[in-house]
Amino acid sequence: MAKQIRFEYDGKEYTLEFTRKSIETMERQGFIASDIADKPMTTLPALFAGAFLAHHRYVKKELVDEIYSKMTNKQDLLSKLAEMYNEPIQALMEEPEDAVGNVKWEASF
Amino acid sequence: MGGELLESSSSPSYTEIFYEHFPFYLSIGMTYDQYWNDDCLLVKYYRKAYELRRQQKNQELWMQGLYIYEALCDVAPILHAFAKPGTKPIPYTEKPYPLTKEEATANREAEEKAARDKAKAMFMAWASRLKLPEHKVVNADGH
Repeated sequence: MAKQIRFEYDGKEYTLEFTRKSIETMERQGFIASDIADKPMTTLPALFAGAFLAHHRYVKKELVDEIYSKMTNKQDLLSKLAEMYNEPIQALMEEPEDAVGNVKWEASF
Repeated sequence: MGGELLESSSSPSYTEIFYEHFPFYLSIGMTYDQYWNDDCLLVKYYRKAYELRRQQKNQELWMQGLYIYEALCDVAPILHAFAKPGTKPIPYTEKPYPLTKEEATANREAEEKAARDKAKAMFMAWASRLKLPEHKVVNADGH
């Protein structure tokens, strides 16, 4: 099962998850994952908001921002979100299980 | 200049990679909805299932080759140009090859039982043809 974050806010259960469709939607709206390092203040809330698309597509942005502002332990939250964001692509790119014939490589730097 | 080259060949977006892999997953039975909206790890299980199907197909084709090979070997005696008149092909295997150990054991036991039954029937037939002297009932007093 895909990685998820669950929490309750204002009496309602929320499940945050990324699907390929939600990532596509985010990228179509201008989200670039590599911006996390350069523009964390804008990228991280967008990442949080994107995690709502899979199960809570119609939650208003104001509410998402409100929830984000009240989330505790943001550092951990964001590293988990980044991990979740990468999961759909990692599942596609996973190393072949069969080690026979795989090319091993190493860098000299 | 080098930077431009690096920029132009920068890695594709996630969406591009998703679309690049999408046809493959459609071809192995995933639906649009499963690929785009369901659990993102489903692709792993579809790949595994696809691998199992390929192995199974390979096994079936190998088995088919084995049956064809055996059929050719069985019929080979009569295909011989200088075969003696009256030469007959070797009978083709009566049952498919067992696929499991249990099946192989059951087949062997069935064959052994059939052989025993046949031997018993032959013995009974032989015994019935013999003219054995009739048994006389002798009483305790000798009469």
